[in-house]
Amino acid sequence: MIGMQLRFERRMLPHIPWGLVAAAVLLGLVGVFNLASATRGLGAPLWKSQALYLAVGVLATATVSLVDYRFLQRMALPIFVANLLALLALKLFGHTAKGAESWFALGPLRVQPAEFMKIGLLLMLAKFFHDEQRSEGAVPGVLRELVLALIIAAPVYLVLKQPDLGTAMMMSLSSVTLVLFARPRLWLIGLLFGGLLLGGLVVWNDWIRDQTEPKVTLVRGYLKKHQEARISGWLDPESDPKGTNYHSLQSKIAVGSGGLTGKGWKKGTQAGNFFLPEQHTDFVFSVWAEEHGFLACLVLLFLYGFVLLSALGVALSARDRFGAFVAVGVAVMIFWQVFQNIGMVTGLMPVTGITLPLMSYGGSSMVSVMIGVGLLVNIGMRRHLFTG
Amino acid sequence: MQLGQNTPGRDLKARYLYLGLSMTAGLLVLAINLYRLQIIHGEELLAKSQDNYIKEVRVRADRGMILDRRGEVLVDGRPSFNVYVTPAFCQRCSAEVLPRLSPTLGWDEGQLSRVEQMLKEKHGTQRFQPWAVKVDVTRDELDVLAAHQTELPGVDVVPVQHRNYRAGPVLAHVLGYMNEVTQDEVAKPSAGPKYALGDYIGRRGLERAFEARSCPSGPCGLRGSDGASRQFVNARGEAQRDKDGRTVTEEEVLPAPGNNLILSIDARLQAEAERAFPGTAGAVLAVDVRTGFVLAMLSRPSFDPNVLTGRINASQMAALARDPLQPMVFRAVAQHYSPGSTFKTFSLLAALRSGVFGPSSTAFCPGGYRLGSRVWRCHKDSGHGTVDTRTSLKVSCDTFYYRVADSLGLDPIARLGKDLGLGAPTGIGVVAEVPGIMPDSAYHDRVTPGGYMKGLALNSAIGQGDVNVTPLQLLMAYAAIGNGGTLYQPQLVRRIESPDGRVLEEFQPKILRRLDLSPEHQKLVVDALVAVVNEPGGTGGRARLKEVVVAGKTGTAQVIRLGEKREKKEEMDYFERDHAWFVAFAPAEDPELAVVVLNEHGGHGGSEAAPTAKAVIAKYFELKKTDALAFGGSSFEREKAPPARQSPPPKGPEQRGPALARSPPPDGGSSQESSLVASPGNSPADEGRRAP
Repeated sequence: MIGMQLRFERRMLPHIPWGLVAAAVLLGLVGVFNLASATRGLGAPLWKSQALYLAVGVLATATVSLVDYRFLQRMALPIFVANLLALLALKLFGHTAKGAESWFALGPLRVQPAEFMKIGLLLMLAKFFHDEQRSEGAVPGVLRELVLALIIAAPVYLVLKQPDLGTAMMMSLSSVTLVLFARPRLWLIGLLFGGLLLGGLVVWNDWIRDQTEPKVTLVRGYLKKHQEARISGWLDPESDPKGTNYHSLQSKIAVGSGGLTGKGWKKGTQAGNFFLPEQHTDFVFSVWAEEHGFLACLVLLFLYGFVLLSALGVALSARDRFGAFVAVGVAVMIFWQVFQNIGMVTGLMPVTGITLPLMSYGGSSMVSVMIGVGLLVNIGMRRHLFTG
Repeated sequence: MQLGQNTPGRDLKARYLYLGLSMTAGLLVLAINLYRLQIIHGEELLAKSQDNYIKEVRVRADRGMILDRRGEVLVDGRPSFNVYVTPAFCQRCSAEVLPRLSPTLGWDEGQLSRVEQMLKEKHGTQRFQPWAVKVDVTRDELDVLAAHQTELPGVDVVPVQHRNYRAGPVLAHVLGYMNEVTQDEVAKPSAGPKYALGDYIGRRGLERAFEARSCPSGPCGLRGSDGASRQFVNARGEAQRDKDGRTVTEEEVLPAPGNNLILSIDARLQAEAERAFPGTAGAVLAVDVRTGFVLAMLSRPSFDPNVLTGRINASQMAALARDPLQPMVFRAVAQHYSPGSTFKTFSLLAALRSGVFGPSSTAFCPGGYRLGSRVWRCHKDSGHGTVDTRTSLKVSCDTFYYRVADSLGLDPIARLGKDLGLGAPTGIGVVAEVPGIMPDSAYHDRVTPGGYMKGLALNSAIGQGDVNVTPLQLLMAYAAIGNGGTLYQPQLVRRIESPDGRVLEEFQPKILRRLDLSPEHQKLVVDALVAVVNEPGGTGGRARLKEVVVAGKTGTAQVIRLGEKREKKEEMDYFERDHAWFVAFAPAEDPELAVVVLNEHGGHGGSEAAPTAKAVIAKYFELKKTDALAFGGSSFEREKAPPARQSPPPKGPEQRGPALARSPPPDGGSSQESSLVASPGNSPADEGRRAP
């Protein structure tokens, strides 16, 4: 079995989802092009690094697609545990940036374990649902639910502790979506809505309701100051335009001022004059929207939509349940990131540090998404392969 | 491995559909939101993005200059640099930047903490505005600041025009000074120019009076109207620069510079007055008798408007206000004094006008005058003997005027005084005036305990008592006598010119009143005034000139009531010494120039005021000659014939001859007078003491 790990057969070739790969690489190239404009004021040609990361990402895609995913299925638990250990190690050797410990410095490279944790969690969940189907009744129900809860909670907790609220949120959302996909039970949906209602109540209690001193807050007291302020700002975008809401407001101005066709590449005034925060990472979409306008934004959304639906197509035709869940997981992961990021820059969602897949500057993010693409290729091209 | 278990199974099929639809819906939501922002609110957000980086910058208009009658610059702007701090961009302001700035700008602890406090109080958008922390830095300070620019974030050194009063304290009261507008003035809605915090506004004198003005052709004040340019800035407030390092700006509205004032003052004559005036305090004024335009206007002590226009601190300001000599008081118009003997000219005219006294009326002066139980003393204890009208003025005999007052009462004298402008502001307009006091019987009934009595008239007739005049009032009254009875409103500004030299407004001579002055009376008085200066025994001999005939009158105004003992000036406390007056016009036969000199606490008019007047008059005629040579015409040419001259009083040259001849033998005088003059031992104790 070990011998077939890197096997590549001619008959796999027609089943490679070329469209998906092309769309992903195209998004990456658009990202590099956009970064060339977004980073023009920084004095460092970050787009060159990004092009390198894209190349590394394509290499990762190729590598990952060659390893038979059933090997990855067996390795899911060790990969998951290794990722958890990496997150734990971060606590000890981590590199602090912007108040959060989220980097490993490996020579000149800075690695974000949280980005890779997403893949690890994905594989683990897929394996869990695959095994659940195979060995129904082998493990008592309650214990199984506890294991599932632990698989999700452990990495989310560690990431939340960094603190990286955004990534933790993304992981939770992707996991919950995946669970819901695996078991579209009424009680789960009920639980979800209950959770939403509870969350709404908490927000209402902590932020909206006029309270007299002493204030009774449920969550607000535990949040970091900037996290707390972002939620306030999201709820009331007009308040404090020079302070908390500055980023959100400036981003909206950037996006809106692009109009139908945009101001032109490197002509964005918001991007060029430092009005956009983090314009090469979290707010990279604002640059695109400002300089290229509504139509170009639709093109981007179309490309993302194409990637997502292709991923679902891979899942649909996957040979086994593990493959199907991995493919759905990759799709869900990309979807939530795209939705949160573009929602954030257009004022729909609160500001959290979520990068836009394939567009934002960052090697870890790029490579982890391209690994996801590699998994999709892997699963897609092996859909008719039957081996013992 | 069972195939059925490995295949995804039909159970998932419908879920792909739902998941796919959900994701599509999610992307659709994003698309709709993008449509909302980019298409529906696109225009509005585009405007906001432009507001972000386009900063409207006010371009300050240059203020107009103030020039003398020949175009010599008295006040202009010079390039200077102000230091501003923008709180929003001043990182670690209190901790590092201000302490670094402090030694460079020479601040003490208190100043530093004041600036710190001022910047701390700025909130909201105020934090993005530059606030002046020091105006007009020196060259050295500028160099240090430039060298440390990078260590001083949020600190800007901005070139600004600073008002420059070229001659410092000279003409300070006339020109005025400027300082920063107050919050109220900025908030106050006005039709005139708009101000922003940090702008300077004229505070006194011409700077204030001509700050804003409207002429038929539009606004013509000193203050121009500011322009506006658009500057491109980034989120840090830094101006964008092109590749040559220049800031990228778009001129939107060009500033319109302010207009220039051309004064009637002649800077050279002013300089001569400054040079010649010996006193600690006082005033020297010169006007054109034919037009009322002021040629020189000195008030001493003065202040330096350059200091007041800079950032003068509270203690300096208080010191200025506490100074016992009161340098801020404009003595020419804002302070009144007893005119002393200079008033006798008016008493004499009143006497002649009343018809009770004629040219040949005489009075005997035994050294005093008895009215009721009291004796009013003449300044000459031994007495002037018998004096006629002409001699009474020449030797300044008090007794003659006691007599006049006794016969006339106060009211005819007061009427004439008022006709000549006493007791009312001259209307010069530029500066605040006091009206002076020309008492009449009604005045005394109102303010004096016991009401009007003859004795009060006796005091007033010799310019003591309640009579009070400003130097300018006295000068204009003498000018009116000199020109045959036309009282002009004194004026300082000849015209207003636009920066390109177009005349926006030309000021014409303004006649306040024409007196019914009989030519004979006028001639007689002028004749007597000529005698004061030019005849032996006259009190104003020190104003005598070879080239022109000067007519003038001395005055020595008592500040405190005379005691039994006459003290020498040097023995008296400064503030108790007499005021020395001299007022004159020349040439006597057709006056062009009138000059008044007030030497506060200076002593005798004949010795402490007349020489200054002489110097100013001499300078005037010297300048007239040189200007005529240089320009082929005199700069003092009469620009407008005064209407009073259109029907000149008949004056035969043969009538004037004796009076105008220089140092003539006093053949016209009485024998008493000649004898007085002939005996030097009997020379008048007071004003005539130093007369030859």
